[in-house]
Amino acid sequence: MTRDNKIELMAPAGDFAAMQAALDNGADSIYFGVEQLNMRARATVNFTMDDLEEIVERCEAKGVRTYLTLNTIIFDHDLKVIKKLVDRAKEAKITAVIAMDQAVISYAHSVGLEIHISTQLNITNLETVKFYSHFADTMVMARELSLRQVKFIVDGIIRDDVRGPSGQLVEVEVFGHGALCMATSGKCYLSLHDENSSANRGACKQECRRAYEVKDLETGNILKIENEYIMSPKDLAVINFLDELIETGAKVLKIEGRGRAPEYVATVIRNYREAIDAYYDGTFSDEKVADWMESLRTVYNRDFWGGYLYGKELGEWAGTSGSQATQKKTYIAKGRHYYPKPEIGEFLVEAHGMKIGEHLLITGPTTGAQEFVLESMMVNDVNAEVAKRGDVVTMKLPFRIRPSDRMYKIEKTEFAQKKLIEQ
Amino acid sequence: MVIITLQRNKCIGCNYCVEHAPNQWAMSGKDGKAVLLHSTEKKGFHTIKTWDEEIYEENKLAQDNCPAKIISVKKV
Repeated sequence: MTRDNKIELMAPAGDFAAMQAALDNGADSIYFGVEQLNMRARATVNFTMDDLEEIVERCEAKGVRTYLTLNTIIFDHDLKVIKKLVDRAKEAKITAVIAMDQAVISYAHSVGLEIHISTQLNITNLETVKFYSHFADTMVMARELSLRQVKFIVDGIIRDDVRGPSGQLVEVEVFGHGALCMATSGKCYLSLHDENSSANRGACKQECRRAYEVKDLETGNILKIENEYIMSPKDLAVINFLDELIETGAKVLKIEGRGRAPEYVATVIRNYREAIDAYYDGTFSDEKVADWMESLRTVYNRDFWGGYLYGKELGEWAGTSGSQATQKKTYIAKGRHYYPKPEIGEFLVEAHGMKIGEHLLITGPTTGAQEFVLESMMVNDVNAEVAKRGDVVTMKLPFRIRPSDRMYKIEKTEFAQKKLIEQ
Repeated sequence: MVIITLQRNKCIGCNYCVEHAPNQWAMSGKDGKAVLLHSTEKKGFHTIKTWDEEIYEENKLAQDNCPAKIISVKKV
């Protein structure tokens, strides 16, 4: 929970750009992985152990808490590594470690590092919460629980006075937005079975997101099925019933997506920040929900549903592969220089062109994700309407840009048109 | 000749290579990733070359079963 008693908004951070986007858009905490022992082991964007100090420094400056995911299954050859990681996390003053394997829980507990229980442990009842309360202060509930079941657990924690090692009541965390698994909260063996690539070692190959057909082996006939994506659920979104979710007494709202781009983190965190604040201000309304949903649809999504929180049976399938985002980004230019006094950013156009009036996005490890509409620019030092590949472009920007920054054009996709027709 | 190469930084430490060919592979206690025994390293790629062609089959299994696809085993 946050200091002002609001539900804590926890953001995913796959890299420094996503982390900065979370910081700029109102996250209360971030979670991230280092090296290979986390559920996004295959992501090329993982941080390294040497980044811990910078992560803490940049987050602490904004009063944002830092959680290190160390939540794969652990083999004996990993033991030294996890001890080193936990020791380094404690030394760097990371707030807590998110763990699933008892080896990690036991060691982190022995050195006095705060522990949060990972979704990989699938907590679905009050007794399990009591069991882990000997080690952990915060526990995420399995994504399969309904609002009623979450409330039952929260009420039980208060009634039975279930406290964690810190002496405070155990805090319940709930997944609020992002990908859902067809298996119980990530306990899936499809990827291991099919491609020898264990989801439980962070190497999920997303078999469930592909199209399948049913074949009669005797005749070779292929049966028609309504939806070829028989295992790919829509994404979770709770913004339309956030009020009910907060009223269960859950203290932390976790946003999925360490594999997502910085503009995804920026958009999702900004909308949930507004929604949480609106709830506590008493200004949460259907009109606002409609605006937030429309905004959430602009970034990566497989369409939305409320997950299991209303106790629904699984049956909301994505129906397509990949994203149904209403916007897409196209690379245009890289950052060159920022002149702080006149607040001018300089870019080199490397692909496509750009013109006045276009919706642009700049991302980078320190810049995060900044979106704006281009109102004026100079091409090779002359005022211009359009720029093409090879041009040096300057424009007024209220934020600093860096040579590590990339500029993209944001455009509508086919799904934008489809949504419009549906409405 | 058999040439085995490992692109080590992408290893997720699953241990399959050790299971298939324990004479060529071990898990590092230091960073939890696979080690190609007696290999030489150049720009992140670890390589061994050997005339012992008997090791080909089991190392080929290590290559095929590596989830990160970072092992290459060739007979030349």
